[in-house]
Amino acid sequence: MLVLPAVAQEGVEPVDTDYDRMPANTVVPEYPEKARRQRIEGEVQVCFDISREGFPRRVTVRESTHPYFEKPAVEAVRRSTWRPIPPGEEVPAIKACRTFRFNLVPVPPDERD
Amino acid sequence: MKIKALAVGAIIFAGLLLAAENAAAQRTSSDVLDSHKKVIGPRNPDLSDGADALVRGDFERGVELTEKGLENARGSFELKAALSNLCAGYLMVRKPQEALQACNRVLEEDPNFWRAYNNRALVYLELGEFELSEADILRGQELRPKSKNLELTKAKLLDATDPVVPNVEIDERRGSADEQSDRGTTL
Repeated sequence: MLVLPAVAQEGVEPVDTDYDRMPANTVVPEYPEKARRQRIEGEVQVCFDISREGFPRRVTVRESTHPYFEKPAVEAVRRSTWRPIPPGEEVPAIKACRTFRFNLVPVPPDERD
Repeated sequence: MKIKALAVGAIIFAGLLLAAENAAAQRTSSDVLDSHKKVIGPRNPDLSDGADALVRGDFERGVELTEKGLENARGSFELKAALSNLCAGYLMVRKPQEALQACNRVLEEDPNFWRAYNNRALVYLELGEFELSEADILRGQELRPKSKNLELTKAKLLDATDPVVPNVEIDERRGSADEQSDRGTTL
């Protein structure tokens, strides 16, 4: 899996820096080979809690368009981390969700081997 | 004659994607030589040794042995095995025309031999005959709908005709209001 540190996450921005949890390491799942072979695309939304230490808890699939993508998406969230909450600081409990969109981009004819 | 077969044909890809099939040697046994003896062992050792060589990647040797095995092939089953293995072997030693001839002979022998359609589809793919390759894949899948090998061959065809780059996008967002009513705890 591809792991992106927080500073290198292009297009992945925290929703609200006041109390939303800042990602520390975001793991991007690899495209399942079985889905790629069969030219299957899909989307999975994974929801979870985040512990004070910054680890995901109670990771569940909320929605998915194809089962091939669920396991990679869940594993990617489980391996991701968020910035821990400093001691003494209180943060409202929220349920976070992350949506993974798996798609296949055609290679233009002039770029093919 | 009681024939004990372990496998029929093999397709081996070296350095490319995945092996579509990896078959062991076909072994046949001759169960009676005379009324007092029973000999069990490879009836066609060149054929079985040739298949072993192909499986382990010694394609030149595999083709050489399988050609000998073809000369000594008895019965339809051995004939199909030899030709099918030759089709695979010739493909691996970069002789697609010879591979095509071997596969065509198998299918003349048995038009319902799905493995030969798979093998020939790969030969057509190598030759750039994508429509013919697709036709063989479809025919093979009619005969063997759940074949993993045919699925892999089809994937190779798609990679040749419709290459794609996998992409994963991430969308971070807070849970919706109805989810927040079921708040998790910040541990």
